[in-house]
Amino acid sequence: MRRLFLPVGITVLAIALGMMFFGVSEGATKSGNPAPVRLTADPGPTSAASLASGEELFAENCSTCHGAEAKGSALAPNLQGLGSATVDLWVSTGLMPLSVPTAEPVRKPDKFTNQQTLELANWVQSLTPGVGVAIPTVDLKGANVAVGFDMFAANCAPCHTITGAGDALSGGLEALPLHGVTATNVAEAIETGPGNMPRMYPGALTKTEANDVVAYVTEDIEHPSSPGGLGLGGVGPVAEGFVGLFLGVGACMLIALWIGERTEREDPEQAHDELEPTHV
Amino acid sequence: MSDHSSNGTPVPTDAPQFEVAARNPLRAEKMTAALFLLSVASFAGFGAAYWQNGSNFWLGGTLGFGMSFFGAGFVAWGKYLMPRGPFEEPRAMMETTPEEQKALIDDFASRGKVAVKRRGFIVGVMALAGGIFSIVALFPLLRSLGPLPKNAFYTTPWRKDAYLTQSDGRRVAVSDVPIGSFVTVFPQNDVGGALSQTILIHVQDGAIITKPGRETWGPDGYVAYSKVCTHSGCPVGLYEQLTGLLLCPCHQSMFLVAKGAEPIFGPAPRPLPQLPLYVDDSGYLRAQTGYDEPIGPGFWERGGTL
Amino acid sequence: MIEGLWNWIDNRLAISRGGRHMLNKIFPDHWSFMIGEIALYSLVVLLATGVFLTLYFVPSEHQVIYSGPVLSLRGLHVSEAFESTVNMSFVVRGGLLMRQMHHWSANIFVGSIVVHMLRVFFTGGFRRPREVNWMVGTTLMILAIFNGFLGYSLPDDLVSGTGIRIAFSILESVPLVGSYLATFLFGGAFPGNGVIIPRFFILHVLILPLVILGLLGAHLGMLVRHKHTQFPGPGRREDNVVGTPMFPGFIAKTTGFLFLVTGITALLGAFVQINPIWLYGAYVPFHVSYAVQPDWYMGWLDGALRVMPSWELHLPGHMIPNVFFPAVLLPGVTFNLLYAWPILEAKITGDTAEHHLLDRPRDRPIRTAIGSAVLAFYFVLFGASATDVLAHYLSISLNTVLLDFRILCLVIPALVFPIAYKICKELQADPTGGKRKVHNTVIRREHGGYESIPNSEYVGYKVEEFAPVEVDHVVVVDDDEEAKEPAGVFQIPRRNS
Repeated sequence: MRRLFLPVGITVLAIALGMMFFGVSEGATKSGNPAPVRLTADPGPTSAASLASGEELFAENCSTCHGAEAKGSALAPNLQGLGSATVDLWVSTGLMPLSVPTAEPVRKPDKFTNQQTLELANWVQSLTPGVGVAIPTVDLKGANVAVGFDMFAANCAPCHTITGAGDALSGGLEALPLHGVTATNVAEAIETGPGNMPRMYPGALTKTEANDVVAYVTEDIEHPSSPGGLGLGGVGPVAEGFVGLFLGVGACMLIALWIGERTEREDPEQAHDELEPTHV
Repeated sequence: MSDHSSNGTPVPTDAPQFEVAARNPLRAEKMTAALFLLSVASFAGFGAAYWQNGSNFWLGGTLGFGMSFFGAGFVAWGKYLMPRGPFEEPRAMMETTPEEQKALIDDFASRGKVAVKRRGFIVGVMALAGGIFSIVALFPLLRSLGPLPKNAFYTTPWRKDAYLTQSDGRRVAVSDVPIGSFVTVFPQNDVGGALSQTILIHVQDGAIITKPGRETWGPDGYVAYSKVCTHSGCPVGLYEQLTGLLLCPCHQSMFLVAKGAEPIFGPAPRPLPQLPLYVDDSGYLRAQTGYDEPIGPGFWERGGTL
Repeated sequence: MIEGLWNWIDNRLAISRGGRHMLNKIFPDHWSFMIGEIALYSLVVLLATGVFLTLYFVPSEHQVIYSGPVLSLRGLHVSEAFESTVNMSFVVRGGLLMRQMHHWSANIFVGSIVVHMLRVFFTGGFRRPREVNWMVGTTLMILAIFNGFLGYSLPDDLVSGTGIRIAFSILESVPLVGSYLATFLFGGAFPGNGVIIPRFFILHVLILPLVILGLLGAHLGMLVRHKHTQFPGPGRREDNVVGTPMFPGFIAKTTGFLFLVTGITALLGAFVQINPIWLYGAYVPFHVSYAVQPDWYMGWLDGALRVMPSWELHLPGHMIPNVFFPAVLLPGVTFNLLYAWPILEAKITGDTAEHHLLDRPRDRPIRTAIGSAVLAFYFVLFGASATDVLAHYLSISLNTVLLDFRILCLVIPALVFPIAYKICKELQADPTGGKRKVHNTVIRREHGGYESIPNSEYVGYKVEEFAPVEVDHVVVVDDDEEAKEPAGVFQIPRRNS
């Protein structure tokens, strides 16, 4: 009866896996809160004091590479004329500042408070008043998620994938995952085209379409509906194939192992050669 | 149930093979009953879940566990509570004797001769009818499925003076596309077309290394290439503005935008065809002509030249 | 009442004459003979869930405006095929479960067919007289893959639509007739004139299932005719089959297996989401997503397309396109080699005798090594279908990953061949290797000597027969030396003897 361990084991395993998936899927379907829309510079800390504070922050954290006047150096590009949106995007996503000047920018927690980030961005903007992209105001009321999805599939999915999981670009570059970004960041990226990403507005998207895309990303990409169970990270058929082969076919083969014999039976009576196997 | 062993001597039904497989049959019985009981509970749960319009989780969970316990009950029954065996049956070799073969062939030949004897003409006409029908039947079965390719692979709806039009119907003016951006465009009479899809990219003027004969094709740094990959036809929708690469999301072919969209990596064998552009008096981007070569993946008749 | 009914039927069909024979049909007990049953039963699941899906699926490319419960699709132009698939997932009660079970069981179906083929290949189950059955089985595998692709394409979503676009290019790449094949099947240049989904539908739900069921009948018919193979073992000879009779032992186990396979499929369908087309959206020819792949059983083809260098063959006035080599030539060669293998092997080894006892893979080291190397090749190609995803998650350059795969798909098989061969040879030299060990009890005697006796579980020895002795330590160990060669083991026939 020791062989019963296998069916019992499989059952327990299945229940455990089931419960695990339950937690995941319930978690995924229950969280319907919209992503935080970061309050932006409205009315904005553009007072002389806050600008001075921004300048100080820049001198401490950015000027080593970008220069005291943000005009750039051999190490880093000129920031003048880019506008506050670019600075806010790179700093609030943690891509900047770099830990060492030669490091690759990676997403990490914002080094500064929201207020400090805005002071920094506004100071850079104040160097070239009216030039460059200002931090956009995002208002998702009345945004059309379906249009956003349509535009997303046409313009964003080729790099970020249709589920926003991100993917590898040429030579070690990367289209970043869209999970865990704020609505403001999405709008800034669309309007400024950070790094290798092309500017999508103006051009491919109108202002309303851009807003719709922001709504789709912050509502659906951030909170994908996963009514069918575990979402497998949204990487599609390869992950599904592994589950189908290892969990599906694998479980069936384990069951076959239980049903069948693992060696051709060497029954005691046979080993003794006293009885031939019976012909029924 | 049984009587004879393979050598023909009777085997008593109290032979060890007929003993129940389980060492502890009572426990196995309890176990089997428990499995069936669990399946009863799960199936009832499935009914309840369906009745209550339960989620996929509950519907599938109850059905899956019900089926699994039900099946496990059968298996436990068959594995532990039935004769442990093993039993044996004889097997005949498949190999036939020459006599057997000859008998069949002789029969076949002798009967066939009676049927076909001196009726060669009938056989011939019958074969002709069958053959003609097979050939004729190919037409409704195959030929009528679709049109001949004709020039389908050679042309696109792009014509002289066509406006570059976005999928929402907006015509593209030079001011719409800042440096570093791209837009997917179509001729105005084929918006959304699978074959006419074209990618318009604005690069720094002067960054382009123009191929001979294409000097006027990319005015002010606006270049347009067919968006249909020359490898297997996917939309080449991934543009890296700093590296100036177009990348195909399907098989990762990389095309150098500044150099006539030449493939520099991956399986794509040919550059993306370029659409010659001009800027009209109102500032709209328009096509000088259509594509000067077939777009998309290769095909047999395409010819040997690039 | 039942007796009367039975009497009535039997007097008309004479089931009792010969029916007893079927009750006695013997099925070998080894677990590996059940892998084919996984395929059989997942086909049952496929048919059952598939019938459900056909009740709600609309095979049409006609464009409609979506107005169902998925907010992110409302107001978009989608095909009726896509709309009906989304609706059967969200509006039809239990529809999502049926869809997911259908897709999972397709994955399991093809997967178990492949594993079943591997079992038959490595144990020589394809040898005379079963060559034809091997070929029928190979055809079944190809049809299963092909029908899987068709079914995956039916929802007309963005990911599968991209797959259809590639399929069109593959058809187009066939020399001489390619452009005709493509326009005939699609009703014109891509995306055709709206016929491809209806055509795929009728192929998927009627024509190919009929062919598959017909060939399956032939497959099983030949199985009954030949009777099962079996592994060598006590009492197992070329002229018998040892195992469990159809009734009652086997029928109980196999019925249980049917429900267990269904159960596993339902659990996957309940807990793991597959092909969430509402996240992908409807197919639009100029939309595309990164990280798109076909289902795993087509993955090797996608991988082959990726690793193929950018070569085309230019002839005067004609060309052989790049995709022809990985997507037409490679599968053509592979499938034809599979078909021809039983004949080829018999030609090479000169072994044309009938075989009903299986080989152990180690006893045919060259076959095992070739099979392992080919399997490794396809496994590497499957891996290559995820170059971008691997590069992303491992933070390696995409270019490096692809170049590595180009090398790996040649190097790995070349390494696997000698390693598999060597392992076979090593195992051959170890007669007890792979056999279940016998627990022995080692007793130290008073005078310092050791004696090893098989413990009481090993029949034929009775511990009680030994006189009680003073024992310092009793240690239970695996002692290979004492493992007895069981009586009546068959010598495996060697081809050079």
